[in-house]
Amino acid sequence: MRFFNLPPQIVRLILLIFAILVSYLVARTLLTPDTFRDYGFFRGAALSEHISQHKPVFAGKAACGERHPDVLKTLAKGSHKNLSCEACHGVVSQEHLKDPANKMLKPTPQICVRCHEASPSRPAWFKQIIVKDHYSDTCFECHLPHQPNEAP
Amino acid sequence: MTLQLTSILAEVAPHFDGYVYPNEAGTHPLWGVLIVLYPYITGLVAGAFIMASLVRVFRVKALEPVYRLSLLTALAFLLCATLPLLCHLGHPERSYQIMITPHLTSPMAIFGFVYAWYLMAVLLLELWFDFREDFVKWGQTEPGLRGFIYRTLTVGVTDVSDKALALDHKLSWIISIIGIPSAFLLHGYVGFIFGSIKANPWWGNAIMPIIFILSAMVSGIALCIFIYMVLSWLRRRALDVRCLDVMGMFLFYALVIDATVEALDLIHRTYSAQEGFYVMEFMAQERLFFTLTIGQMLIGTLLPLLVLGTLQVARKFVPNGIRIGLYFTCAVCILLGVLAMRWNVVMGGQFFSKSLRGVMSYKLEFAGAEGWFLGIILLSLPFIILTVLIKLFLSERMPTSGHVPHRMDNP
Repeated sequence: MRFFNLPPQIVRLILLIFAILVSYLVARTLLTPDTFRDYGFFRGAALSEHISQHKPVFAGKAACGERHPDVLKTLAKGSHKNLSCEACHGVVSQEHLKDPANKMLKPTPQICVRCHEASPSRPAWFKQIIVKDHYSDTCFECHLPHQPNEAP
Repeated sequence: MTLQLTSILAEVAPHFDGYVYPNEAGTHPLWGVLIVLYPYITGLVAGAFIMASLVRVFRVKALEPVYRLSLLTALAFLLCATLPLLCHLGHPERSYQIMITPHLTSPMAIFGFVYAWYLMAVLLLELWFDFREDFVKWGQTEPGLRGFIYRTLTVGVTDVSDKALALDHKLSWIISIIGIPSAFLLHGYVGFIFGSIKANPWWGNAIMPIIFILSAMVSGIALCIFIYMVLSWLRRRALDVRCLDVMGMFLFYALVIDATVEALDLIHRTYSAQEGFYVMEFMAQERLFFTLTIGQMLIGTLLPLLVLGTLQVARKFVPNGIRIGLYFTCAVCILLGVLAMRWNVVMGGQFFSKSLRGVMSYKLEFAGAEGWFLGIILLSLPFIILTVLIKLFLSERMPTSGHVPHRMDNP
């Protein structure tokens, strides 16, 4: 085999390098994932796969109402009537649905303060406290979260 | 909340002294023993190749007995050099993805090109040109699978005329010349990876690539001495003492330059005493005392320097048997010392807080993805590969062409 009078080992090396390059390009075409580079230097489908695996779902008030209709009835009378149960008690877990003995989160004063701490960005009609001036070790000694308008 | 904080503190507090940032309060450093092994193995590759180029390019006749052995050593270690990194990332089976989606946006990604260049364009080509004549000969005489391997490796070229061989040697010589800067690039790049981390005073240092390549040369020559002696001992062959003396001489020279540059670095750091100096001083005296002071400085540098230096001056007065023993001891000490140096660089850089006011203590585990058991497996893998390579290409019962590389490089 003689190309341009090149020595045989050079010819073979060139052919070998060419074969390696071609097989690399073929492998690259076959192995590169379809959605690669859709959004950036990664497999685009990885995002949607990940999101579909971990879909965040709130159970919603209606689900809570199936087992706790009395609480919902009480709640509907007060000014917290528009709050979702999960806003204070955390997301309803599968464990809690299966076995009520796995309790939901018990709200702490920090949860109340998230909304009721004084902040100029909140409207004036909204009930606010300055935490350091307020007796704030525990809110529930004086307030009922399910009936905020009534004293215990 | 308080309970949580207490439990975190109770778990974390024993590992730290001084002030550390909360995000540093993990139970392990991010990089473990595998990241220590990768610069170590890569350094051995570069060092063994430079050792081989002493014969090919610098025409050191006395080292001819170890020319092929050091090239095969470089190949065996290069094949395993990236393995610790891939294991550290946790999914070695995905490594092909590095090759099908290459990019140039991170230093570590560019390292893929550096490794590929060194393996495909330098080491394999030089080996092929050097062994081609023997492949043709062995392919004709050896039966069975062995013969088939040799015939495959000839890639169908059976021309072993004087003209063809002269071309082989010429090309091999050119590749060797390209190979020396490539070996410097390969291991200098490891140093660059650490040296370019400017937020870490232990690493961020322009002299890091130079220190890495010099210590790589030292460890590579020491590894060649070690493997040559072990192989001769296993084969019950007499050692070529002249070759050992010359290897010892080059080891001494490389060690002198390496120790000088590292000492300069130390002096510069001590005198300039920049903001990270005090925590580094504490680390050197407390946390890394055994690996830095004892391992790297005493066993890895001072002891071999003294022994090899004495042997340079008083070689005639030391009997062969003792000299061989001393070379072996020095080689092992240097191999351990350079391993300690890699540990000090990789782990040392993670042991102190970015606050420069606190340090972490770390106990190496036995099992697990970052345990020393896996480290030992990865470190013994190149030796297993080298055994296979030696059985295939340096077999005692198959005569080699007996060509002398340096004499035919410039026909």
